Amino acid sequence: MKDISALLEAIKAQPFRDIVISSPHTGTVTFADIRKGDKVLGPQGQWKEKPGTLIATLERERNPKPIYAAEKGELTSIHTELQGRFVEAGTPLAVLRHPLTRAEVESMLLRQALHLFLAPERAKYYFTPDVDKKIRASDAHSVLVREGMELLIMSRMKREVPLLYTGPAGIIYAVYFKYNENIDAGAPLLGVCPQDQLPTIQEVIMRVQTEWTEKD
Amino acid sequence: MVEKTQGLVPVNKHRILVANRGEIAMRIMRACHKLGCSFTAIYTAEDTASGHVRLAREMGGKNSLFRVSSYHDANELMAVADATGCTAVHPGYGFFAEDFRFARRVTKRDRQLIFIGPSWKIIRELGDKINTKRLARSLDVPTVPGSDRPIYDELEAERIAKTVFAFQEQQGIDHPLVLVKASAGGGGMGIEEVYDPDQFRSVYRRIRNYALRQFKDEGVLIEQRITDFNHLEVQIVSDRSGRSPVHFGTRNCSIQSTGRQKRLEVAPGFAADTLTYTFDADRVLRDIVDYSLAMARKVGYDNVGTWEWIVTRKGDPFLMEVNTRIQVENGVSARISRVRGQGDIDLIAEQIRIGLGEPLGYGQADVTFDGLGIEYRIIAEDPNNNFTPWVGLIERFTWKPQPWLSVLTHVPANEPYEIPTEFDPNLALAIVWGKDLKEASARGQEFLRDLQLNGHNAAGQPLQSNVDFLKASTERILRF
Amino acid sequence: MDSNIEKRLQNLRDRLAYISDIFAGKHRDNTNLLEEKLASFTERARTDSLEDPHAELATLEDLFTYVERRLEDCITPMDTVRIVRHPQRICLRDILENVYDNFTEVGGQDEYSLDPGMLIARAVITRRRGKKTYTQSVMVIGQEKGHGAEYRNGGSVKPWGNAKARQYMRVAETEGIPIHTYIFTPGSYPVEDYPGAAQQIARNIYCMAGLRVPVVAVISEGGSGGAEAIGLADRRLMLSHGYYSVISPEGAAAIEGHIKPGQRATQELIEQCAVNLKITAMDNLRFGYVDRVVQEPPLGARPWHFDFFRHLRQEVLRATDEVVLSTRLVPVLKGLALARVRNPEAKLDEMYTRWGLSGAAKDRLLAHRQQKFLRLSRLAARDRRPLFTKLAVALRDWASKPWVRFKYDFYRKHQRRIRTFMEELGNEWEVFKDRLLTPWRKLTRKLPANREDVGKTRELTALSNWSGAEQRKRWNYISPRYKTDRAITCPNSAAYGCLDLWGPDLFAEFAGVCSHCGYHFPMEPEWYVKNVFDLGSVFEFNSEIEAGNPLNFPGFDERIIDAQKKNKAKSGCMTFEARIDNIKLVVAMLMGTFRGGSVGAAEGFKFVEAAQRAEKNHYPFLAYVHGTAGIRIQEGTHGVIQMPRCTVAVRRYIESGGLYMVLYDTNSFAGPVASFLGCSPYQFAVRSSNIGFAGAGVIKETTGMDIPPKYHRSYRALSRGHIQGIWDRREIRANLKQALLTIGGRNLYYR
Repeated sequence: MKDISALLEAIKAQPFRDIVISSPHTGTVTFADIRKGDKVLGPQGQWKEKPGTLIATLERERNPKPIYAAEKGELTSIHTELQGRFVEAGTPLAVLRHPLTRAEVESMLLRQALHLFLAPERAKYYFTPDVDKKIRASDAHSVLVREGMELLIMSRMKREVPLLYTGPAGIIYAVYFKYNENIDAGAPLLGVCPQDQLPTIQEVIMRVQTEWTEKD
Repeated sequence: MVEKTQGLVPVNKHRILVANRGEIAMRIMRACHKLGCSFTAIYTAEDTASGHVRLAREMGGKNSLFRVSSYHDANELMAVADATGCTAVHPGYGFFAEDFRFARRVTKRDRQLIFIGPSWKIIRELGDKINTKRLARSLDVPTVPGSDRPIYDELEAERIAKTVFAFQEQQGIDHPLVLVKASAGGGGMGIEEVYDPDQFRSVYRRIRNYALRQFKDEGVLIEQRITDFNHLEVQIVSDRSGRSPVHFGTRNCSIQSTGRQKRLEVAPGFAADTLTYTFDADRVLRDIVDYSLAMARKVGYDNVGTWEWIVTRKGDPFLMEVNTRIQVENGVSARISRVRGQGDIDLIAEQIRIGLGEPLGYGQADVTFDGLGIEYRIIAEDPNNNFTPWVGLIERFTWKPQPWLSVLTHVPANEPYEIPTEFDPNLALAIVWGKDLKEASARGQEFLRDLQLNGHNAAGQPLQSNVDFLKASTERILRF
Repeated sequence: MDSNIEKRLQNLRDRLAYISDIFAGKHRDNTNLLEEKLASFTERARTDSLEDPHAELATLEDLFTYVERRLEDCITPMDTVRIVRHPQRICLRDILENVYDNFTEVGGQDEYSLDPGMLIARAVITRRRGKKTYTQSVMVIGQEKGHGAEYRNGGSVKPWGNAKARQYMRVAETEGIPIHTYIFTPGSYPVEDYPGAAQQIARNIYCMAGLRVPVVAVISEGGSGGAEAIGLADRRLMLSHGYYSVISPEGAAAIEGHIKPGQRATQELIEQCAVNLKITAMDNLRFGYVDRVVQEPPLGARPWHFDFFRHLRQEVLRATDEVVLSTRLVPVLKGLALARVRNPEAKLDEMYTRWGLSGAAKDRLLAHRQQKFLRLSRLAARDRRPLFTKLAVALRDWASKPWVRFKYDFYRKHQRRIRTFMEELGNEWEVFKDRLLTPWRKLTRKLPANREDVGKTRELTALSNWSGAEQRKRWNYISPRYKTDRAITCPNSAAYGCLDLWGPDLFAEFAGVCSHCGYHFPMEPEWYVKNVFDLGSVFEFNSEIEAGNPLNFPGFDERIIDAQKKNKAKSGCMTFEARIDNIKLVVAMLMGTFRGGSVGAAEGFKFVEAAQRAEKNHYPFLAYVHGTAGIRIQEGTHGVIQMPRCTVAVRRYIESGGLYMVLYDTNSFAGPVASFLGCSPYQFAVRSSNIGFAGAGVIKETTGMDIPPKYHRSYRALSRGHIQGIWDRREIRANLKQALLTIGGRNLYYR
């Protein structure tokens, strides 16, 4: 667990990450009442059902769409020069300095501790319908994977290929891909925790719980 | 939609939204340039390195290039069109080209645009296969033997299936096959072949139940399954008046991948002068052209389009479907065509011009044909393994320029190119011309021999392409 | 100080605390006076400086009684709410101990109960006539507030508590003993855990609409749905200091004042709402929703008011006797017996009426109960039908009865026989024909069939006739929203990656359904009327029955007029006859666009009429719920009473052999779902609809729980067994037809 300690120290030295809030698509930008240096909130509520602080509204085809902060943090820059302008998809609107939460530190450390199942190709990945149903019903932790199991669907070039899981059997502890998002070859798709390593994982979590204090 | 000639906005006052990517986007941009109208191209983050992005930067001025979230999102296209003052949209092929709803939206929205393609009603009418088949039959245009409406009654279905079997036996077909498909289906879903009349009932019931579950409509179509055929096309061009369609000849697209994707197209459709056929090839070509024009006239077809045919070994043509768009292989038809003796035809420019409302300006008598064209689709794939796409980095892609050769590609020639995983895996189109089949084939082989296409993927394996497949296929061009 | 004095002093202290609690700081001078006197007496008693403690204490007690009497006249509706909620208020156990002679709890004990908020006991009453004693059993069912004991949950009963109540109602029915229900509830606990608050209340009401034993209900705190769960009774008594209301005054104030979550309505607004809602015993007696008011001691009954319990016992006995006697057949004897028990001076403990009923008497009991509820609240809706129409309707009813009898009871039976006969005849003819033709067939088979072959080939290649070609889907009605050129974001886009939809596509061709994930955007009621039923087959009736403002709720007249203008309809319930592929049916549609689809007296009136029409014509009956927010609170108990009323109508229809189906769309909540909708054996929902008892805000307020975002989704109702299926909007017509054919059977009506 030595590398975990070192990593934790490294994270402590720079306990935040910068999140660029960009326009999801084209449209005309209207910034909300925000200023540089403002503290903003991410989604709130027990189920994260309440959206975070409104950053801007992006109107396209007479359909104004709110853009909310996805995480809490401090706005370090706002591209106010874009106010009222038509922007391209993916135009940076603001930058958010987000103090790392316990859960995030946990997931960074878990990436070291878990067995990572990597993307073989640059492609989009989905769970197979059976697995997807299970995950939607409860969560990823409920899925036990084992070698050779048909777990994912790899979609590229308009072709969908089933992807068999390789690696130790265990439960899916972390999911690193998102719907409709391209994953580079070699990037982790899943973090799997073999049953016998659960105590190790618990220890990582315990350490984060005790050693990491969240900042506002 | 039909605009009067007087009061028509001149072509060079228009701005076209190029609602596509890659090779076709480049062809559209060049056509715009040729016609003197401006354009706005779009691209996604995935496509930043695509040749069409570079070309748009080089050729277009202000407002000529916008990044969007997806080529599939019509809202992005409309928003960019409005923001840049576009007056028309060219959909290319794929994406929205045959989406009548998109065409309808473009023309019916508050800020109306011109859809460079047939009017949305025609797209809808000919996009429906049952409707197309019935339209053809109403004009005595031959279609695949079988039902032309959904069958709901089991007894009737069985009777038709029996007749289709009997019909094939009568035609002397060795292994008659009947196709049962859900009438509401599409894209290969809910289709099954029957080779034994006794099995028909169980297959029928299976498809019917599937259709009921999947599409809430238990209608099925019952047709002859034709296995031994050539795939031919007729290129139609017609201005907004819809009254005087002109054809630009025929193409033979029989050389395909196992997944029925075209790999090599030849114009014209047969070479009766050099090859011998079991049927009167010239007559077949004449017939399918006449049939296609008759249908185009009937519906008032008002842009470019392709009538797809299958021709059996006995020389019977059957209409398959109508593609209400410009096709990838339009260039090979243009290559052998002349208008009033002038070569260098650009069907995409013609499409834009007539799409914007200009009259075609010439008739069928002005269109002549010369020689034979071959179009190769160069693709990174493994023809020996089910044509599986290959993904990776292209490091070198060069060929020897020839007066008889044109290569269309969005792959940059002088820098490495990462193949995006999102789209059709076409890398380039190469069109070769010869005065006859022999010369064209020889030139084709020469081009393929000189072609340099190298690269490697993440695992360090070398690039795989279909060049060898194309070389082998060149030997069997136009042979039935 | 002797212990007797100490005890009486404690009683006075309690009374003082009670007074100041129930008036919430009002009448401070009176409480100050009592407090002062009590304090000085206590002080002197402590120092033993009283000359005659007993006499002085009696004087003090008299003073308390005097002040209580005087304050009795100042009680406002909101004060009664505080009275019934006060921990000192009598509760069901006090009644069991003091009104009945003996009892055994059967629904669990104290906190060891499926739901301690619902108390069930078998109780006995001993009566004496001459020297003979009679012991009579009753099933006592009611909410137990337990003087504020926390585990009783204030009498807010969970779904399984109501299920328990229903179970024991059935037991009483089997045993043939009367049921006494005591309503002490602020409302049901609005959770959707199995069986679901709304679904269970609906089952209870449906059950009570057909219970074949006498039921007497006593209302102390009648909180809407929770009260109705055990409230559908032959006689409804109400305690004079109780309240019976559609919603708590605080809830009404929150709605009226447009209060956001976390804020509170002002005290004045709450008091005003309590007055406007007309929730008191006398109000409800005047409306006819309770039969009798049981007078309580000044400021409300508390456990030491033993006279009150005696009085209550008399009233409960009287009510039960009355119910039983009213089922008697011989008019003179019935009249005499009723007069005897109705005499206020009657000593009912010394009279005896057998509570058992014969089968025929049970039928009459049921008919009386059902008619009683069907008659209620008719005047609370504005019936604008011209006199002539009403007369014509009555005449047609009268005239059509014999015809319907003939058609269904006589003709149908014979028709079947005739058909069988004809079929057999046909079979014989076929056999005969076959024999006759055999030689000819043998001959023709040998001939070459060339001509036929040509015809067959032609069939495969030539255009066929297709009558269905024109029919291929076009909507008869499209939402006017299609005219707006704008993009619309699907609410599921984050989860499913749906691209923005173009409004004109979405609201016309797509029928309001997201083409990517299938999410259903709400559509107008007209969409269903025009697209689900055969074109031109819709015939509306009773459109002249108008929603009104029976409580004269301030400012509500204008709001009703607005809703009428906006919807071009007079009430939130449209009733019509229509056909689906020529199958006739009667439809009652609750329109979510008319004041949220809330149900008041007019909507209930029309719903009942529709059920009766379906019964009369032998048509299937469909309740299409475009949306309903619940009972219209501004109509108070005129609205609440629609829950039992409409359920009675539905039960009568179903029991006469009818097929009653419910289809929920958009949002369906509260009272209607918890009664006449939820009681249908065949309930379906349109995709993306929400079904439940109370919204997230109300749940948060009453239970303190945050509910997960998809708590009320129809999929959960399906998993719970509340509904039987979820339909795509575009397939409602096909699914309805399918359901009619499969559930409705061959002739769609008779089981």
